[in-house]
Amino acid sequence: MEDEEMEKKVQQYLHRKGFRLTELALQEERNRLSTTSLSDVSLSRSDNDPARYYDGYNKLRTWAYNSLDQYKHELLRVLYPVFIHCFMDLVAEGHTQEARSFFHTFREDHELMHSRDLQKLEGILSPLHLEEMDLARSLRENKFRIKLCEYSYELLLQYLQKTQALVMLGIINERIIFEVSAGQPSLISDDADVVALVGTSKDLAKQINQKEVHWGLLEDSVEERMEKALSDSDKTEAESKDADAEDNNKARNSLIKKSSEGGKQGGPLKKLKKDKVVGATGKNNKSEASMVSAAPRVKPELTLPATPVEVEQSILEDLRNRAQLNNLALPSVSFYTFLNTHNGLNCSSISNDGSLVVGGFSDSSVKVWDMAKIGQPAKTSSSQGENGSSQGEHLSSTSEGKRPYTLFQGHSGPVYSAAFSPFGDFLLSSSSDSTIRLWSTKLNANLVCYKGHNYPVWDVQFSPVGHYFASASHDRTARIWSMDKIQPLRIMAGHLADVDCVQWHVNCNYIATGSSDKTVRLWDVQTGECIRMFIGHRSMVLSLAMSPDGRYMASGDEDGTIMMWDLSTGRCVSPLAGHNSCVWSLAFSCEGALLASGSADCTVKLWDVASSTKALKMDDTKAGSTNRLRLLKALPTKSTPVYNLRFSRRNLLFATGALSLGS
Amino acid sequence: MSIVPKETIEVIAQSVGIPTLHADVSAALAPDVEYRLREIMQEAIKCMRHAKRTVLTADDVDSALTLRNVEPVYGFASGDPLRFKRAVGHKDLFYIDDREVDFKEIIEAPLPKAPLDTAVVAHWLAIEGVQPAIPENPPIDAISAPTENKRIEHVKDDGLPVDIKLPVKHILSRELQMYFDKIAELTMSRSNTPIFREALVSLSKDSGLHPLVPYFSYFIADEVTRSLADLPVLFALMRVVQSLLRNPHIHIEPYLHQLMPSMITCIVAKRLGHRLSDNHWELRDFSANLVASVCRKYGHVYHNLQIRLTKTLIHAFLDPHKALTQHYGAVQGISALGASAIRLLLLPNLETYMQLLDPELQLEKQKNEMKRKEAWRVYGALLCAAGKCLYERLKLFPGLLSASTQPALRSNKRVATNNPNKRKSSTDLSASQPPLKKMASDASMSSMDSAAPVAGTMDGFSAQLPNPIMMQASSSGQMADGIAAAGAIRRGQEGNHHAQRVSTVLRQAWKEDQGAGHLLASLHDVFGEGIFSFIQPPEISFFL
Repeated sequence: MEDEEMEKKVQQYLHRKGFRLTELALQEERNRLSTTSLSDVSLSRSDNDPARYYDGYNKLRTWAYNSLDQYKHELLRVLYPVFIHCFMDLVAEGHTQEARSFFHTFREDHELMHSRDLQKLEGILSPLHLEEMDLARSLRENKFRIKLCEYSYELLLQYLQKTQALVMLGIINERIIFEVSAGQPSLISDDADVVALVGTSKDLAKQINQKEVHWGLLEDSVEERMEKALSDSDKTEAESKDADAEDNNKARNSLIKKSSEGGKQGGPLKKLKKDKVVGATGKNNKSEASMVSAAPRVKPELTLPATPVEVEQSILEDLRNRAQLNNLALPSVSFYTFLNTHNGLNCSSISNDGSLVVGGFSDSSVKVWDMAKIGQPAKTSSSQGENGSSQGEHLSSTSEGKRPYTLFQGHSGPVYSAAFSPFGDFLLSSSSDSTIRLWSTKLNANLVCYKGHNYPVWDVQFSPVGHYFASASHDRTARIWSMDKIQPLRIMAGHLADVDCVQWHVNCNYIATGSSDKTVRLWDVQTGECIRMFIGHRSMVLSLAMSPDGRYMASGDEDGTIMMWDLSTGRCVSPLAGHNSCVWSLAFSCEGALLASGSADCTVKLWDVASSTKALKMDDTKAGSTNRLRLLKALPTKSTPVYNLRFSRRNLLFATGALSLGS
Repeated sequence: MSIVPKETIEVIAQSVGIPTLHADVSAALAPDVEYRLREIMQEAIKCMRHAKRTVLTADDVDSALTLRNVEPVYGFASGDPLRFKRAVGHKDLFYIDDREVDFKEIIEAPLPKAPLDTAVVAHWLAIEGVQPAIPENPPIDAISAPTENKRIEHVKDDGLPVDIKLPVKHILSRELQMYFDKIAELTMSRSNTPIFREALVSLSKDSGLHPLVPYFSYFIADEVTRSLADLPVLFALMRVVQSLLRNPHIHIEPYLHQLMPSMITCIVAKRLGHRLSDNHWELRDFSANLVASVCRKYGHVYHNLQIRLTKTLIHAFLDPHKALTQHYGAVQGISALGASAIRLLLLPNLETYMQLLDPELQLEKQKNEMKRKEAWRVYGALLCAAGKCLYERLKLFPGLLSASTQPALRSNKRVATNNPNKRKSSTDLSASQPPLKKMASDASMSSMDSAAPVAGTMDGFSAQLPNPIMMQASSSGQMADGIAAAGAIRRGQEGNHHAQRVSTVLRQAWKEDQGAGHLLASLHDVFGEGIFSFIQPPEISFFL
C-alpha cells in the first residue's frame, strides 16, 4: 500500500538522519494505534493508572543503577528530570496521594544534588500549586539539557525501545534535550553543570551571553593617571614631554591613541568593539605592570561626578603606600567585633579607609562608629546633641548616656543593608520598610528617603565613583538610582525570585545581581538589559565581588560555595567548596591577586586568584578544565561570624562580625 | 497525604466558630494549608539569611507573614532562638518549654539589669597573614608542620633529589625566648618568691605559650634528673608541670611521654633531697596527685598510659629490696589513682606486705629510728589508701538505699508468695557462700527482724553495716574482732529463719556488698581499729 510504503520511507529517512527519538516516537505511536484498535480497555487502563509512573520510573531507575560503571553516572543524570516530571505529572492529574508516595519513595536518590529544589517541590499538592510556584512553572515550561556521550545515549534508547516504556519515553521526549557528544563519557566531577538548569532559560542564557561585555576599566581613572605620571617621569622622549607641556587633556588623548594603535599592531587583539575601547595600555613599558593596568579601558556610559582635588590627593597617597599582596605576602586583617548585639545586627559595612563602621539593626536603627574616636572619651557628644535635637526625628545622637556611636533613626523595619559612599561622606541604608535612606555622615542627618521598591530592599551599593547606587529587593527587581532623584533611573527585571545582592562593576557600566533563583546576572546600566547570566550555584547567592581589573567576578552562596566567573565568556573559571556555611562577604584585594571570603562558619579565608587565573589563560583552549582556587590561609575567629570584608586602598583588610556566644 | 491531617483543619474550623465543616472542604484545605506553611517558611528563611543568621527565630516568621500581607502572630518575639524540648515518647514532636509565671513574682522581682549597649572593638585578626596569639583570637591549635618548600630549598646542587630529613628549624620569637629564660631562672633559683607564683598563674592561663611546650618539657626532664638532691627545685619543677597541665590553650599530649618519667621519678625515687630533714614526703604526695590528674585527663586518649604507670608503681611496691621511701611513693601513687586502683592493686597484696612491714614497725626489731619512722609513714599511707577505698564503697550505699526501696519491696513480695523454687535456690546459695560472706549476709538478715517495716530499704546497708557496728561495739569493749565475728555468727543463726523470706532480689546487691563486708573485715584484720575512722558518721549514726 502507498501508506505503508510512505511510512517505511519516512522511517528510513529518519534512520538515516539519525533522528532516533523521533523514529522511536513514530514507532510507538504506530504500536499504540494498533493496540488501540485491538483493545480499548488496555489503553484506558494504562492512560489513567497512576501506578504506571511508579512502575516506569522504578524500572528505569533499576536499569540505570545496574548499567555499566563507566556510563552509569551519565545515565543517572537522566533520572532526576524524569523523577520530578513524573511527580508533577501525577500532581497535575490529581493523584495527590500517589504523587506523595512516589516522591517519598525516590527522593533519597536526588537528595544530595538537589535537596533545596526537592524541599520546595515537596509542598506541591494540587494542580493549582503547580501554576503558582515559580520553580514548578519554570520546570514545566522549560526543558532540561543533558550532556551524554554517544554510547550512553544509545544505551538509553535501546532500553526505552526494548521495554516499551511509554510514559518514560514521553517524559524524556517532552522534557529533555540531549546534547550527545562523541567519545568518552564525561567525568563525574563536572556533574554540576551537566544537568544545568532548565532548557529555554538555558537557551536564553546562551543567547544573552552572546552579547558583548566591555569589562575594561574606566579610562582616565585616578589609578591610571598615577601610573601615567610614573611612566611619564621615566620617559625622556621629547614628543611626550612636548605634548605634556602643551595641554594635559590633549596629550592624554593622543597618548591613548598611540598606545591603542600600538596595541592593534602588535599585541593580541581582544574581541572588543573598536569604538568602545579607546585605549589599550596592554603594551606597557613598565615590566611590573600589574594585572589592573593590563586591562583595556572603556568610556563611561554614565556621566560621572567629579572627584574633589583633596580626595584625589589622598587616594594618590594611598596608592603610593599600597602594600603589594600576592600568594606569599598576605594581608593584615583588622577585625571589628560587635559586642552585645543581642542577635540584632543584620548587616555592617566599613568605609573605604576603615575609619567608619556602620551596623544596621533589626530594631530599625543604624549606628555608625568612628573608629578613630574609639578609646577616646566622647567629648563631641554634646555638640552632636544640639545638632540632633534640632534635627528632630531624623537623628538622635542625644548627649545623654554618651554613646560611643552616632545613632540614625528613621527606618520603620529591620535594616538589611548599609553602604558608605566611596569617600565616606554619605551612607545608604535599606530596610524591610521598602525604602532606602541616604544619610550624611558629616551632618549626622537623614537627607533623602527613596521610595520605589514595593517589598523589603535586601541590598544597596554605591557605585565605585559615588553618586549612583543600585538596590536589590524582594520584589525581584534591581534598581539604579542617583542621589539627586527620588525616582529610580533604571529597573532591572528578569530574576525569577528575590534579588538578594547587588554589586557594581568597576567601570560603573554594569551591575551584577545575585538571586534566590540561583543565578547571577549582569546588567547594562545604560540600557537596563540583562547581558550575562551565570548558572551554576545550587542555592541562594548571598555575596558578589568584582575583580579590580573588571574581568572576573566572584559569587558566594548559602552552602558556602564560592565561584569565579569570567565576565566576557560567561563561564565559570573555578568552582570551589569554600566554606561550611553561608558566605556573607567577598572582597578582592586592590591589585586583584587575592580573594578574601567571610562566612558564617567563623572564618576569613584567603584565596589565590592570580595563579588560578594565570593557569586558566595558559590552557584557555581546554574547555571545561576546572582548576580550583587555591586556599592560602584560613583565619578562624573566636565564634564571630564574618559579616563584611573590605580591602582598603592600601590593601589592609577590614572585617566585621558580631560576637555570638552560646548558639 | 498531606502532613496536615484533615482533623487538624476541622479542629481549627471549630476554634474559629464553624462547628461543622464538610469533609470535602477539610480534605481540600489540608494540602493547601501545607503548601502555605511551606511558603511562609521559605520566606522566613530568606529573612533569616538577610539578617545574617543561621538560626530561625520567631521574628523571621513574623517578617515572612508581613511580606505575604498576613497579620503576624503576636507575642512570641524573642531575641534569642527558641529552645525546644522533645516531647516524651515521641520521636519528632517538640514543644517550647514555657513556664507559667506568676504576675506577683514578676512585679516583686527587682528590676533586671539594663542590657549592655552595643559596642565595637577592634583587634588584629592577622598581621601579614599570621594570626597573633592574643585573647581575641582563637588559640592556635598546633604547630604546623614544616612547609614543603623548605625541603625543596635543601635539594643538593647536583640536582639529585636527596630525601634528607633536615632538623626542623623552630623559630621562637624573642618575646617567647625571654619568657622562657625568665621562667627557667625563677624555677631554678627563686621558687619561693611571689613572682614565681605569678609566673605559675601566667603559665596556667596564657594562650600563646604553645611554642614553648617542647622547651619546657625538655627543661623539666633535664632538671629533674640533674637536681634530685635539691628538693625546692624539684618542687618548683612539679609546680611548673602542674601549671602547664592546667593551661587550656596548650596541647600537651605529645609531650606527656617526656614529662611522665620526671613526675614518676618524683614519686618513687630512692632519695629526694640531700638532707634527712627534707620533707620529701610532701613532694611525693604532690607528684602522685599530679600523675593521677594526668591519667584522668588523658587516660581516654592514651589507653595504655595508666597501665604503664600502674605497672611501674606496683613494681616499686612489690619489690622488697626497694627502699621504704619508694614503697611509700608507690602507695601514694596508686592511692591517688582512685579507689578501684587501690582495690585491684594494693589490697590483694596487703597482707603479705604487712608481714614484711611488721618487723620494721616495732621498736625492738628495728633499731634504726629513721627506718622505723619511714616504716610508720608507709603504714600510714597504706592505712589511708585502704580507708579511702572503704570510704568510697560505703559512699555508694546511700544512693542504693533511696533508689531501690520500692522495687525491692515489690519484688520481695512477689518472690515471697509464689516462687518456692527460687527461695530454695537462694538458701542453697547462701549455704554455699564462704563463711565470711555468710556471716555478713546472715548478720544483715538478723537486723531485718528488728526493722521489719523497712525491710526492703535495709538490704543495701545491712550487708556491711551491722558488722562495723558490732565490731565497734566489740572493740570498744576491748575485745578481739574474732569475738565480734563470733557474736555476729551467733546473731546470724538466730536470724536464720528470716533468710528464707529475703534474698533472691538481694543477690545482685550481695555481690557488691559482700565484697565490701569482706573488705572491711580483712582491713580490720590488718589495721585494727584504725580503719574505723574512715566509715562515714551518718551511716553509723543511722544504726546507733
